[in-house]
Amino acid sequence: MIAIIGAGPAGLAAARAIALAGFAVTVIDAAQKPGGQYWRHRSTVDGYKATRSEKYFSTVMGNPLVTYINGAQVWSATRSEKSIYINYLQSGVEKRLTCTDLILTTGAYDRSLPFTGWDKPGSMTPGAAQALLKGHGVIAGKSIVISGTGPFLLPVAVGLAAGGAKVEGVFEANSPLRWLRSPLALLLNPEKALELLYYLKQFRRYSIPVRFGKAVTEFTGHSVRISDVNSDMTIKKTNVREIDCNVIATGWGFVPDITLGGILGCNQVVDKDGTVVFSVDNNQRSSIENIWIAGEATGIGGSDLALAEGHIAGLSVIGKRIPFSLNFSKFRKRLFARALQVSYPVNPGWKKWLNRQTLICRCEEVSCGQILDSVEELKAEDARTSKLFTRAGMGLCQGRICSRNVAEIIGESKELRVSDSERIAYSNRPIAAPISLGTLGDGISSK
Amino acid sequence: MQKNNPDAIVIGAGIVGACSALSLTNAGLKVMIIDRGSVASGTTGAGEGNILVSDKDPGPELTLALKSRDLWFELQEDVGDSFELEAKGGVVVARHDSSALMKLAEHQRAAGVTAERVNSAELHKLEPYLHPDLSEGVFYPQDAQCQPMLAAARIIQTVLARGGQLVSQARVTGFEISENTIKGVVTSRGTFHSPLVVNASGTWAGEIATLAGSQLPIAPRKGFILVTEPAPQYIFHKVYDSDYVANVASSDADLQTSTVVEGTRSGTILIGASRERIGFDGSMNFEIVRKLAAQATSLFPVLRDVQLLRVYRGFRPYAPDHLPVIGEDSLISGLWHSAGHEGAGIGLAPGSAALITDAILGRDSFMDAQAFSPQRFAGARL
Repeated sequence: MIAIIGAGPAGLAAARAIALAGFAVTVIDAAQKPGGQYWRHRSTVDGYKATRSEKYFSTVMGNPLVTYINGAQVWSATRSEKSIYINYLQSGVEKRLTCTDLILTTGAYDRSLPFTGWDKPGSMTPGAAQALLKGHGVIAGKSIVISGTGPFLLPVAVGLAAGGAKVEGVFEANSPLRWLRSPLALLLNPEKALELLYYLKQFRRYSIPVRFGKAVTEFTGHSVRISDVNSDMTIKKTNVREIDCNVIATGWGFVPDITLGGILGCNQVVDKDGTVVFSVDNNQRSSIENIWIAGEATGIGGSDLALAEGHIAGLSVIGKRIPFSLNFSKFRKRLFARALQVSYPVNPGWKKWLNRQTLICRCEEVSCGQILDSVEELKAEDARTSKLFTRAGMGLCQGRICSRNVAEIIGESKELRVSDSERIAYSNRPIAAPISLGTLGDGISSK
Repeated sequence: MQKNNPDAIVIGAGIVGACSALSLTNAGLKVMIIDRGSVASGTTGAGEGNILVSDKDPGPELTLALKSRDLWFELQEDVGDSFELEAKGGVVVARHDSSALMKLAEHQRAAGVTAERVNSAELHKLEPYLHPDLSEGVFYPQDAQCQPMLAAARIIQTVLARGGQLVSQARVTGFEISENTIKGVVTSRGTFHSPLVVNASGTWAGEIATLAGSQLPIAPRKGFILVTEPAPQYIFHKVYDSDYVANVASSDADLQTSTVVEGTRSGTILIGASRERIGFDGSMNFEIVRKLAAQATSLFPVLRDVQLLRVYRGFRPYAPDHLPVIGEDSLISGLWHSAGHEGAGIGLAPGSAALITDAILGRDSFMDAQAFSPQRFAGARL
């Protein structure tokens, strides 16, 4: 039995490849509808080439070979020699899915950087703003500023504007000239130029200003202050502009969600952008023979790459040869993903924006000063020890948002590079989702 | 690296090492603490901060625990109120037959422990959310708790302020020994000379003894602790079932679980305690996690709707007879051990530090430490 965890682009592409070849597959996903974070569970999606998602949705929905388990929060998984057991919660009841082969397509979530006021109501990630819009049909706020780095800011801005919000501006920290460093990636991905043109047209249509080399460095709750930033992310000129707005969406790339693969013991490495990802072979197979991993969890690369990787994983699971065209497609999209890392780096200068009062862990309300004191006075040398002293990363999100920032703040204060083993340590968690003690103690109710 | 050679070197920046270092510093010695990681990076960083007298049978360990419990409050005077020390009291609930628990409490009372037998009404007044069917227990007002990582860090901070040194990220690779007498410690960050070395490396104390050409039968006993989301105050004391006492003293290698439930200042609830002897196997075991959850919710049904947020595991250092090892090595003079405190290291640390300091300086101490002597394993086959 083949199972896929995740129904985003990678998971759907894998399911489609398996089902089209005549094999049965079970897709398990946390959301009510397929699409993942990117296609956001709507049957029609706005944006560039949005309709391509339909062929994936249609393969999964109403295909007798595909069992689709929705609204299922996988909280843990275990394995024996031949089988993998997936424990999930569905409407408050714990159930178990047993499979022989597993494809993990667990995706990614936005990376946040702390700044003064990022803990105020109205401050969110672009992903959260998009989720409010696409998932619930809600416009996140009337007047919105978008800041951070990366191409994902563009579709979010367009989506929010199309939904009726007033997008006051997109402030991209990096310079577009950085793209000149990746000529081969651009040459091999000419269709990306069309995507860019599409967004430029939309930006003109909704009169959204885009500015480069700038970042939001303070949010007051009703306005943002913009600073000019250097390429190393230090501030060149502070508070060059103040813009009234009630929502600020800031995103600094993505963090792969690696919890489940980590629980199952799949080998992890640190990617060039500092994220922890799984090491997989050419066919997306992980260090564990019957587990394949595709999409963002093997390296942030966007939906195009996720589709190719999911397709390859699906074919590999059922023992099919991977056509050259598919491998080449993955190669050039992987090249483009590398170019994204080169073009939109989050350089270390952001720590200079912070003052002692800036909150770093919002769940437990731990300030930058408390973290620095845990290093100076209590001799913490890594994120784990600082967490034990300050509680940074112990709250509801379990450090998903702050642990990398804590580690990098400590690293800088001690003038040490954050080691790969520490990055892997702070990126993993023993359970993938909260579960009530009652449900946990009752055990599996239907086998 | 440039460091002054100290009067004494303590290996281990956990709670036992920290207390030993402070005790030696307060006796006038210049102390260097060496750790292969950083402060509280071993078992101290994976514990609940138990300072218990309730779980011990009368004997040398209980004598040590009673003294050590009082020393914790003296330590707080010395170091400052900075590590959440609280005499919250323990409630032991008889789950089935209460006769064994009541007999233990009677023996403990004879040994100087305050152990108050409580009936159903008193029990539910102490813990209003306890399962209504539970009707008998013993209240131990002396049981206390601290935040062990903060305690170790604050104590080490005090040692440093009084002229001590901390060398972190230094793995011990060997010793300089001549004529069976210790001369120094060789580490990955250099060699440090001292005529006096205290091995306070907890679960790893056996490896350290082996590096010195001696031996110490300390092995890991793995445990899981469940941590919930912050909840309203449902639990007011350390609450555990009477099976806990039997399991602590058990020599069975198989898995044992018995409930220990308590709240913390941050609102999260901690649930223990499993005991397994499977070496340094750090893997997750969800069946144990389920069992702990089932036991905790059977004591406190209100916890059924509280969410589990995380699980952590640690390795308790235990000796075959479940007593700590405190005293000079049987072969190498100048090498002292204070290790093997199993799950009671936080509670026993200040008392153990006083014992070892008194022994090193040749002073009289508050109790006869013969039962803890490393000599008891001399010649034993490991």
